[in-house]
Amino acid sequence: MKKIYIAAFVLSASIFTGCSSDYLDVDQTETISTSDVELYNNDAGATQFVTAIYNKFLNWDMTSFGWIGLSSITSDDADKGSSPGDTGTDKDVLDALTYNASNPSAESTFIANYDGINRCNQALNILPKLDKVDANLRNRLAGEAKFMRAFMYFTLVKCYGGVPIVDHLPVPGSDADRIMQLTRKTAPEVYAFIESDLNDAIAALPDKTAYSANEKSRVSKGAAYALLAKVSLYQKKWQQVIDNCNKVTGYALVSDYASQYKVTGKFDSESIFEIYAQGAIPAKGIEGYSNTQGARGTGGWGWGFNTPSQSLVNAYEAGDVRKAATIIFRGQTLYDGRVVPNTVENERYNYKAYSSAYTNAWETDVDIKYLRYAEVLLMKAEASNELGQTSAAIPLLNQIRNRAGLGNTTASSQADVRTAIWKERRVEMAFEHDRFFDLVRTGQAKAAFAIDGKTFTEGKNELFPIPATFIKQAGGLSAQNPGY
Amino acid sequence: MKNFIFSFLALLLLPAYMSGQAIKGKVVDGSGMGVPGAVISASSSRTTADADFDGNFTINAKEGEILKISMLGFEAVSVAATLTPMKITLKESEDTALKEVVVIGYGTRKKVDNTTAISSIKSEEIVKTKVLNASQAIQGKAAGVQVISSDLPGSTPSVVIRGLGTAIGGRNPLYIVDGMQTENINNINTNDITSYEILKDASALAIYGTRAANGVIIITTKKGSGDKVSVEVESFAGFRAPLKTVKMAGSNKYAYYSNSALQSTTFSQDQPVNTDWFDEITRTGSYTQNNVSVSGATESVKYFFSLGNYQEKAVLNGLDYGRTTFRNNNEYKISKKITLNQNFSVSSANSSPKPLSAFTNAYKQSPIVPVYFPDGKYGVSRVGENGFASETGSSFNNVGNPVAQLNFYDEEQRSVTLQGGLKLDYEIIKSLKFTSQFNGEFYTWKQYNYDDTKNIWLAANPNKVDSDYAKEFPNGNINLLTKGREQYFNWNLSNYLTYNKVFAEIHDVEATAGIETSVKGPREKLTIARKNVNPDSNYWALNDPTVGHGVEYAATVTSLYDVVFNETKLASYFGRFQYKLKDRYLVTGTLRRDGSSNFGKDYRWGTFPAFGLGWVITKEDFMSDVKAINLLKLRGGWGKLGNQNVPLNNQSYASGKNAYLGGSILYEGTTISSQIDPSLSWEITEESSVGLDFELLNNRLKGSFDLYDKNTSNVILYTKPYMTSGLTDQSPAHVGEVSNKGYEISLRWEDKIGDDFSYWIGGNFSNNKNELTGLKDVILAPKTGGSLGNGQTTKLLDNTTIGQPLGSFYLYEYAGFDATNGKMLYYNAAGDKVTQDALDANKDRKYMGSSLPKTNYGITLGFNYKNFDFSVDGYGTGGAKVYNGKKAQRFSGENIEDSLATDFWTLNNLSASNPAPFNEVPVASTYYLESGDFFRINNITVGYKLPIASNNFISSCRLYVNAINPFITQKFSGFSPELNGDGDPYGTQGVELDAYPTLRSLVIGANLKF
Repeated sequence: MKKIYIAAFVLSASIFTGCSSDYLDVDQTETISTSDVELYNNDAGATQFVTAIYNKFLNWDMTSFGWIGLSSITSDDADKGSSPGDTGTDKDVLDALTYNASNPSAESTFIANYDGINRCNQALNILPKLDKVDANLRNRLAGEAKFMRAFMYFTLVKCYGGVPIVDHLPVPGSDADRIMQLTRKTAPEVYAFIESDLNDAIAALPDKTAYSANEKSRVSKGAAYALLAKVSLYQKKWQQVIDNCNKVTGYALVSDYASQYKVTGKFDSESIFEIYAQGAIPAKGIEGYSNTQGARGTGGWGWGFNTPSQSLVNAYEAGDVRKAATIIFRGQTLYDGRVVPNTVENERYNYKAYSSAYTNAWETDVDIKYLRYAEVLLMKAEASNELGQTSAAIPLLNQIRNRAGLGNTTASSQADVRTAIWKERRVEMAFEHDRFFDLVRTGQAKAAFAIDGKTFTEGKNELFPIPATFIKQAGGLSAQNPGY
Repeated sequence: MKNFIFSFLALLLLPAYMSGQAIKGKVVDGSGMGVPGAVISASSSRTTADADFDGNFTINAKEGEILKISMLGFEAVSVAATLTPMKITLKESEDTALKEVVVIGYGTRKKVDNTTAISSIKSEEIVKTKVLNASQAIQGKAAGVQVISSDLPGSTPSVVIRGLGTAIGGRNPLYIVDGMQTENINNINTNDITSYEILKDASALAIYGTRAANGVIIITTKKGSGDKVSVEVESFAGFRAPLKTVKMAGSNKYAYYSNSALQSTTFSQDQPVNTDWFDEITRTGSYTQNNVSVSGATESVKYFFSLGNYQEKAVLNGLDYGRTTFRNNNEYKISKKITLNQNFSVSSANSSPKPLSAFTNAYKQSPIVPVYFPDGKYGVSRVGENGFASETGSSFNNVGNPVAQLNFYDEEQRSVTLQGGLKLDYEIIKSLKFTSQFNGEFYTWKQYNYDDTKNIWLAANPNKVDSDYAKEFPNGNINLLTKGREQYFNWNLSNYLTYNKVFAEIHDVEATAGIETSVKGPREKLTIARKNVNPDSNYWALNDPTVGHGVEYAATVTSLYDVVFNETKLASYFGRFQYKLKDRYLVTGTLRRDGSSNFGKDYRWGTFPAFGLGWVITKEDFMSDVKAINLLKLRGGWGKLGNQNVPLNNQSYASGKNAYLGGSILYEGTTISSQIDPSLSWEITEESSVGLDFELLNNRLKGSFDLYDKNTSNVILYTKPYMTSGLTDQSPAHVGEVSNKGYEISLRWEDKIGDDFSYWIGGNFSNNKNELTGLKDVILAPKTGGSLGNGQTTKLLDNTTIGQPLGSFYLYEYAGFDATNGKMLYYNAAGDKVTQDALDANKDRKYMGSSLPKTNYGITLGFNYKNFDFSVDGYGTGGAKVYNGKKAQRFSGENIEDSLATDFWTLNNLSASNPAPFNEVPVASTYYLESGDFFRINNITVGYKLPIASNNFISSCRLYVNAINPFITQKFSGFSPELNGDGDPYGTQGVELDAYPTLRSLVIGANLKF
């Protein structure tokens, strides 16, 4: 009897001495363990990691209220709008260019883009491990991830200047990776990284025609060339702008400018990179994008922020069809028959954020067209003009003007053509999240804001503040932008 | 050959041995039970023997020789040895300290030999206060043990032992019920408990290793005893009412105040209705408990059966709670060496919960609103042209009708807990015992909640008719039925050896070594919500006879959650060595090694050592003349403990990042948005403590004093990932350090005057200083808490919290009001008085004290005179702050307290004590922070034992009356300063919002024994 018990004791002891490691290995059941990579080792599984990046563009912080604040309300195209007492957290100070280092919109945009970059890095990290996935698909998905990572770094470098380049998943505990995450690189280094990503994307991505009807929002080779052209434009690499613009093929201007901002204009011949939104249940739209910019007050449907400024209204030449396509005027009847009553609080609203079918919904069917062929033409015109090929630039500019119902430009000198192109960019791309950065890029900011009645402080307002919390986290490895 | 040599040696060395005979006998106590371990020594033969588990002994001695039989806790006797089997009855020693035994985990220890801090609470103390949960009953009875309870039926009290050492980890102590670890003891009938032991210091706790940092409570349930069947019946019935209420303004005062606030004459100051909403939603509560137990023992079986039923109709209308428990504990004597203990319990609880927000709504709803309008519709907060409440008037606040809220709320919950275990003790050789114990717990829970959506809307909008609902909510559901199911199975297996021997009479050694595994099985939870069900609850779940299975409801399902939570496993080795030299020098060493499945492979095993030292000074010769001191014992120790109940370090995929990609197909999206620190492990607490136990003046004055210093050096807090990491999830990491330092005193005087009168008076006091003493160089993700549901939060834990106690309020400091306009003012960081719109949330708030008390104290006194008994117990706390959340939540058009209604700033009343009426949401400030200090008489008991001869059919009958919580002194102006809330110091603990009031109960009961 004694022996039996001793044996039993020893036996039960061996349950976790002999194989102690196994005994305590408990499989997760409430969340999917990252060790189960095999679950995703198939075509659909691999695709999920890239879909998550597209998903990020629908996010509130990434593309909506804060981003509208930084990219639009700050500019001379738009005013804060809404009720005078409703600051929209910080939209009043953005409008007035008086924001400080703890500006919430600057912080949320910074975080959101790095969140997106993490999703790109996660995809780029896992894709090579998914060996059962079609090699071409893997290659293309990696190309999509690199395009979007480049796009996000472009946003960051435009907003904040040089930022830390996180080009791979940091290893916990690695000091090198800690330094990587906390050390700001210079703007040229960031641009070089963006170009490298885009060149990889160009090699991996197909033409847009390769995508089926359900996957038209995936990025294509054309999108990568167009973005590389724009990145080159920001670096004033004029020849590179022209070269890349020339490679954006298979696109054409649509005849009706206004059609681009309606449901029927999704993925038209002019669209190069478009954030796709679906308002039908289950809706996946840009969170709050239409609502925050919708008309406010009795008879309205939204919060009423980001309203077109008088300066923008004045910028349109007589007969320019783009004015009516861009601006909702109080009291007017919209294209779908909706009457905007005179009881709404602001005189003007952003037409490009208006959804006819899901007007007051949080997630609507309004897309954002980040890259259009019209811009490719304008970039090529600008680069040509800068290289002294003004005569080559003018017909490109006229294509845009003519489509808008305007006659040919009267400008002929290089300087005049330069100004004409810049002005054309403004009215062509109003409310497409370009104006503020364009003003900074072209050095027009101080003058333009003066006209708009605001003070642009040179040496400071070119860049937004790096979030104060990041500077704290960096513990001396990174410094704040000047003036904040 | 070997035998021969042994015999030869024996022959040579021990001639006396050969000259004796085998004297057999049994040592029993007063009740006839064997006394194991009694020491029998023969004076002239110089032989000794120990009694076995049954008290039987055999000793080599000569017939007629004097045998001395001694045992701790009994008076030694000397008798002459006889050849016929002897029966020796030992009389229990008067020295109670020697008798008392404490449960120390995987064994017991005589209290006098114990080196650690353990509070033992006996069954009489637990059943005295008539409450559901034993932990609530022990409030104030153990120094250093803080119990924050609520009288909400079925709620679980928070127990904090020697201060809180964790911020986001589990805070509850480990409960060990008859060897089984559980998280909650609501299923244990307090009548079944024989002892409730609280292990307080690390040297006692270390045997529970990585689960012990919050303290351990060991509950032992009853066993049969005696030699005949005894039946005990205990029944009581009681009434309950709120201990304290808040006087609200009546209609006319409300109208006066609100008109001032709105600067209008909206409300008539001659109101026809004056509703006391608190009165309307409450009733006199009642509760009963009936309990029958049958127990006894034979040679081979000790048995105990108990059946109990608890029913409560709570003070909140419609809230009912019931619990039925059954228990059977048996001990089988299988052979001389093998004992098998079996215990089994079933507990079934059912309740119909009601939302506690009804209390807040009753506080806030205007008294001018009738419960029902004359046409029978529920009253709503609308005011007509005449300034009276009206169905069609304009809305003046957003508070619903609390009576309607309770009437519409339809929920039931039912749970069954099965616990059982087998414990086998085998005496391998004398002094060496093997114990194997298996316990299991099965829990199942189900719930439904029926939301009568459309009718609730109609009740809130009396001017609307049925068809309006469809118009306003074309896709809205008529009703919504939510059903939940949950179950789990946990088990525990331990095997250990206990060795106990006295060498050379002065070296008393006890050693325990064993292994254990504890498994918390995967908890499964299923929740399903369906819309537009048949309003008749009988028809919620139909069969379809044509197909033989249920009706297909997929089309009406609005949500379905199906979760299997992670299983956790623990594997452990433990050992303990206890040594006593000359009955006075005590040494204990403990070592536990735990492996937990919660942590990464390289970080899952931890070792938890502890030691304890004790010195029974009174055993020393130099103390033998000091008659006034009966016992003086100094003890102290050090140990290391773990808290493994911390956020898990599971690295998981984040799904749901879906998107359309240009068409109508929604593609699934997945990423990884967290990076958990792979080295995440348990929180480690180290504690050093010393204590002094004493008994003076013929054991009449007993007491102890304890000092401790506890430090949790790797507290887990959520840190903000680097912003550039792109990780959106906060990462738990070992970054904080929390210190708890304190002392405990307990004293008790007990005496008899004559034969008929005995009395006692006692008390305990404890003080704890809790502080977040340090943080690593990280940026914490700020943890806000104590949300008021109106955008205001009252608590904060972030990098600025260093030096503050956990659970600290973080508020603006109220600076009085502006005499010129009555507006509330606050101090900003510069010390200027500003209005709330000029405050900076990042700079102007300050830490204003914690919701956790610094001191706890309890008193007890009572007497027995002939057949009467009388006792009083009290409990109090000091140093805590409470936030008057319901008051702070007040918004325009809501009721105010009577004291405020006429004493507020106006141009004609500049010296008022309250600011001018206001309509905006006030910032969270010290204006609403009050002292949580209170002292409450917990219990007054008067009992009378009927004079019945013990050989009657009814052998004993005691009738009693209890007043529970009859009196309180408190500084707080709300209902109750004891606010457990969600039990989280960073949640609603210490915030009176949607809180259940403390109750006063009057109970009449009887206890009969057959």
